Amino acid sequence: MAQVVLKDVVKNYGSVYAVNHVSLTVNDGEFVALVGPSGCGKTTTLNLIAGLIPISDGTIVIGEREVTRLDPKDRDIAMVFQNYALYPNKTVFNNLAFPLQMRKQPRETIEEKVKAAAKVLDITHLLERKPRELSGGQQQRVALGRALVRDPAVFLMDEPLSNLDAKLRVQMRSEIKRFHHNLNATVVYVTHDQLEAVTMADKMAVMNGGFLQQYDTPAQVFANPVNTFVASFVGSPAMSLIPLQVVTHGTDVALQSAEGWELPLSPENARKALSAKGKDVVLGARHSTLKLHKAPHPGAVPGRVYTVEPTGDVTFAQVFIAEAVVNISVEPTVMLDPDEQVWIEFDQSRLHLFDGETTMALSAR
Amino acid sequence: MSTDTQTPQRSFDGWKWGGRVFLTLLLIFTVMPMAWMLITSLKTGFAAMQYPPQWWPSEPTLSNYTRLLDPSNSVGQDFLRYFWNSLWVSTATTILAVIVAVPAAYAFSRFRFPGRTFLFFAVLLRNMFPAVIFLVPLFILMRLLGLVNTHGSLILTYLTFGLPLAIWLLKGFYDNIPIQLEQAARIDGATRFQAFLYIVMPLSTPGIIATSIYSFIGAWNEYIYAYTFLTRHDQMTLPVGIQRFFSENATDWPGLMAATFMMSVPVVVHFLVLQLYIVRALAEGSVKH
Repeated sequence: MAQVVLKDVVKNYGSVYAVNHVSLTVNDGEFVALVGPSGCGKTTTLNLIAGLIPISDGTIVIGEREVTRLDPKDRDIAMVFQNYALYPNKTVFNNLAFPLQMRKQPRETIEEKVKAAAKVLDITHLLERKPRELSGGQQQRVALGRALVRDPAVFLMDEPLSNLDAKLRVQMRSEIKRFHHNLNATVVYVTHDQLEAVTMADKMAVMNGGFLQQYDTPAQVFANPVNTFVASFVGSPAMSLIPLQVVTHGTDVALQSAEGWELPLSPENARKALSAKGKDVVLGARHSTLKLHKAPHPGAVPGRVYTVEPTGDVTFAQVFIAEAVVNISVEPTVMLDPDEQVWIEFDQSRLHLFDGETTMALSAR
Repeated sequence: MSTDTQTPQRSFDGWKWGGRVFLTLLLIFTVMPMAWMLITSLKTGFAAMQYPPQWWPSEPTLSNYTRLLDPSNSVGQDFLRYFWNSLWVSTATTILAVIVAVPAAYAFSRFRFPGRTFLFFAVLLRNMFPAVIFLVPLFILMRLLGLVNTHGSLILTYLTFGLPLAIWLLKGFYDNIPIQLEQAARIDGATRFQAFLYIVMPLSTPGIIATSIYSFIGAWNEYIYAYTFLTRHDQMTLPVGIQRFFSENATDWPGLMAATFMMSVPVVVHFLVLQLYIVRALAEGSVKH
């Protein structure tokens, strides 16, 4: 196992930058998720680490070696593909054996290692089958087996769960997590599903538009998103964002909506709001920090119910506040009707403020 | 499908029966000449000329075949030589076509390079003109190259005729092989070439077989170029050589038919194999896997 270091990695096609000066370090034994919407450059970044596409600029180090210009075969990596990429003309045994055959290992060693890997993944009874005779979950296991049979320095996984049905996905999610734990493997995992990233990864790298937005533990990314993009991407349902204006009344600072209501800010939040470049500020709040009142309440702002989604344990309501859609979770016993007038109270200690111009999180320096 | 089988049989489906009658007539039309060829080849020279014709020879004989396949007489010698020439020209064309078409199709499918689209359509350009147009220019070219009266001239020409479809067909195959398979192989320790050899090639075997049979049949049947480029008897291929049965004082119909029949055997056998693969080759890309 080894660490992976990306330094100023760039991949551009003419003036289009798929990956724009991305630097990050994956420590030995760490599970890192590259996450972002489609087209954000996460898969391109993974392919650059794998060496499947030529890099435009920057360096990549795996373990102690610089591999920036090396062939994929010389990088000591294994990869699990979204469509599994099992060799359709080979049996499961030969699929697993292929990486070892390519490395000219003796026949007995190959047999031994393939059988060991098959046992770990519980696919021993499938060894003589062809990939097309397997279910999606079984193919997934074979793909994992082909990666782990060789004991590589780094595992790269490109959306390995996205072709599975919802139930199997949850099951394989915990299996991959267990697999990482048991092998103490270094894993770089690409996904568009922030939930996968949050639940599986030690660290997540949120990407957008080819740029690395934030690279931290899921808890940190969740608690302190660096900008509105990360805030709205991570978490389910996403953090609600309300664009507002800063107004001051002497020493008191408040946020004002176009409708005219004002939300007074705590001293700390006031300092944050005043550090914005202009008057535009984006207020962010997660559903669980909001409180819904059916009658006017001091410090609460007015809103109108849009939809109500009961999920059993908790009911999610979408409420229009200052023309922004805000997600709120309420007790399932609370009955709400569409277009009902409600009042929303913010928790001053847990709300987020972002600069309306730069979209960056504001801090109370 | 299932509802079709469940509905009770309708009394009479005019379209269905009309179609069957039409197909039967078409079949008779195409099979008759071949049947007549076979029947005639079993007749004696005298029986072949009788009128009204004998629908089935009163004394069937295989002497026409034995004469053609017997290297001890001059007719047999000639026939076997033509057969051998045809086999050599067709086989060489086929092998070269595969050697050229496989990498070309792979490159067109996988690589982005300047002029890719232009080159791809340039390859097809040859097929937009009737072959005869190139007869004289190619003859002049072959004379300049000193290839007239050699099999090389035919192999080169047939190659250019067979390649466009071969490349087109194989490209379709490679387009359908997910690039991740090669990427997986390269990560698993294969070079780009090994990934092609061990993973991509086996998957495109149906396409390679289909294209090679197509080239073979094309070369085997070709007449006008062989007739123009070759004048020496010992170089002639079957389609040209068979002509000689006409020329001498009287046409030896049973001999000619026996030779024609034997000439069509490889084509028919190949075509039976081909149609299995060509359906797969052409259907490839029509559905998403």
